[in-house]
Amino acid sequence: MKKILLVDDEQDIVETLKFVLEAEGYTCFCAYNGEDGLKLAKEIIPDLMVLDVMMPKINGFKISRLLKYDAKYKNIPIIMLTARSQDSDKQIGEETGADVCITKPFDLDEVVLTVAKLLKEKENN
Amino acid sequence: MAKILLVSDNNDKIKHYDEILSKFSHEFMFATDNQMFLDSIEVEAVNIIVLDASSKSIDLPQLYRKINSIKDNVITVVLLKDDKIPPELLNISDAFLTEPVADNILLSTINVNLRRKESLVRLATSNQNLSKSLYQLDVLYNLGSQLSATLDKEKLINIMLEGLDKALGFSVACVLTFKSNNEPLLIINSINQISDRLLEALKLRAVLNYKSLFENKEMPFELNIDDLKTIKYAKNPIDDYDFSILRYDTMFAQINLSENFFGFVEIYRENSFTNEDAQCFHTIAQQVSMPLKNSSYVQEIQEKNARLHYLEHMKSEMISLVSHELRTPITPLKTSLQIISSGRAGEVTPNMAKFLGMANKNIESFSKIINDLLDMSKIEAGKMDYKFTSTNVEKLIEFVKLQQTNVAESKGLNLTTHFDDKFVTVFADSSRLQQVLNNLLSNAIKFTNAGGTIDISTKVVDASEIKTPECFADEVKNLEGKYLQVCVSDDGIGIEEENLPKIFDQFQQVESSLSREVGGTGLGLPIVRKMLDAHNGAIWAESEVNEGSKFYFVLPVSTDKSNFWILHKQLIQQAKVNKTKFVTLSMSASGDVIENLLKEDNLINRTYLNNSVIVNEDGRTTLTMVIPDATACVVDFLKRKIDTVVLNDKARYGKCDIMYSYATYPKEKD
Repeated sequence: MKKILLVDDEQDIVETLKFVLEAEGYTCFCAYNGEDGLKLAKEIIPDLMVLDVMMPKINGFKISRLLKYDAKYKNIPIIMLTARSQDSDKQIGEETGADVCITKPFDLDEVVLTVAKLLKEKENN
Repeated sequence: MAKILLVSDNNDKIKHYDEILSKFSHEFMFATDNQMFLDSIEVEAVNIIVLDASSKSIDLPQLYRKINSIKDNVITVVLLKDDKIPPELLNISDAFLTEPVADNILLSTINVNLRRKESLVRLATSNQNLSKSLYQLDVLYNLGSQLSATLDKEKLINIMLEGLDKALGFSVACVLTFKSNNEPLLIINSINQISDRLLEALKLRAVLNYKSLFENKEMPFELNIDDLKTIKYAKNPIDDYDFSILRYDTMFAQINLSENFFGFVEIYRENSFTNEDAQCFHTIAQQVSMPLKNSSYVQEIQEKNARLHYLEHMKSEMISLVSHELRTPITPLKTSLQIISSGRAGEVTPNMAKFLGMANKNIESFSKIINDLLDMSKIEAGKMDYKFTSTNVEKLIEFVKLQQTNVAESKGLNLTTHFDDKFVTVFADSSRLQQVLNNLLSNAIKFTNAGGTIDISTKVVDASEIKTPECFADEVKNLEGKYLQVCVSDDGIGIEEENLPKIFDQFQQVESSLSREVGGTGLGLPIVRKMLDAHNGAIWAESEVNEGSKFYFVLPVSTDKSNFWILHKQLIQQAKVNKTKFVTLSMSASGDVIENLLKEDNLINRTYLNNSVIVNEDGRTTLTMVIPDATACVVDFLKRKIDTVVLNDKARYGKCDIMYSYATYPKEKD
């Protein structure tokens, strides 16, 4: 079973993503701030991460950068959730190593499809 | 009484003339040698010199030189032996008498010359007075222009004091005024430093002056000596002024702003003031009140302006904040609804599906309103980023059409497209352009009734061919060169003529029962217009009620020469903002070398030509292209490829002379 780590300070978003992704057969782990998210990522080494940008303590960019520069974790695909109002987020997200950026409010099917695609790509490599 | 000096070595003559002249009320002196003469001249203010030119023992040339140096202040009468006048005396003497001289002739000569002298002195004095008045007038004039040039209260007072100093030369000047918060202020300008006890005395005097101005009336401002703040300026900080100043002559004037009291000025001077001085003083004090009045208006306007700016800023902040806060809950709302309607959370009955659809639709329009508000606040704050690339508008149109086909079909509308044959690209931010197209298309769908047709067409036009209704003429008047014109036309309800000019203004959704029904923030079209402005494009509309509307917009075609440099500028701007790289490469050759190179397969990347321009001049063809995301390496690579082609096909190219020049952005270091 694939492990997915969801990190967002908005609990409702984490809940809905968890519901949908678990229905797809993934195991989901949740964290509600950057600090916990980073700790959990290093602990469980998930197959994929969904990461929000705007979070207290450690923001998504920083987590992404920390993980992608570490050989142990750099293969974890990261989906970054960005706010539409900050167009530059997308660019920074890509620079910090996020594999895909999805803007809020997002379409659930888009997330599900992206997760599947990234996991498949990872397997093929 | 005049002083007469006789110069002669002849004692008899001295005696003789003394007798004659002592009958006058004049003072008589004599000198018998050079030294005596010089002493008398130095010590006494001699008016008339009577010179005996036949004196033998006197060094006459030395005497003449001395007389020459003082001739403007002294009358010289020369006594001669005969009619012959020594030439050196011609220029320095006022009268020549031949001896023996009759008493009456000598007396009248002296009298006439004395009177003449008196008149001259009077004339000089009035001349001096005149030039003083002229100077004061000049100061007044300069002061007037200086005063009208500034509206800062403190500066105005300083200019006034400067003017008073120039025109009248005061020792001390005190200005009492009240600051905007009614705080009393005493400004003291002086030549020397004011001693502490004199300062106290001046303060007390200012308070007494102020109170005496409003003896029986209500005072416009409260004035207590303890609250009185002072500012001192002294030209000479070493010496001190003390109480002696209070014995000087003074002048006092009140400064009014229209009817209201503004303050007063008092000046002290050791020399007493004349009537002219007083006039000058009052004129200056009056002159300052006019700009002061203006300055108080200006201050009021500035304060109001600052307040307006603040409110405007607050409005933008507020909109931005509120929209952010409103947007946060949309994501979970939307996803929750999606989970339910997708059946993931359990079976959905047809009734449930109907209401879920309703909720979904409203969330969509809600998030659109918020996005519009955010976009507008970003555009207004100048924070909207654009990422310009070569864009194919037709492809974008097809994409937008696909997105909205469902909505259009559900309303029973027919969507069609007609594209120009010429394949052109524009330099645009494709996501913003998509927003523009989406906006125009969804508007058309909104305002067209079932069975209607909506058509999107494109056409390459020259700026001179662009025609708009008169109210939009300003929008297109600055356009030049080739443009891609996109038209979204519908046969819907149309827009009334009087409303047409307003449709691109903020919060101006056209008022009509139908438009109310369809709702919206009225921000869509203003945002579209701002976005097209940023693209160096333009937008306008034509419409007739019940016939339909046509919305046109134009974007500069990126291959057109005159637009190329606009785009080039945009690219540089963009490269600076986004820190991206690009290269501008120019290749020039004579004949049709460049054209032939362009025909070669796989030589020059087609995408480079999206942002390029070809110029023919003096038999040489120059191709300039902008290559995005490239460095100087690309240029080297391309050069080598071209060299190979040219060498391999001597029949075609022969000895061609291709010249390259390129620039990289940002500038690369060697």
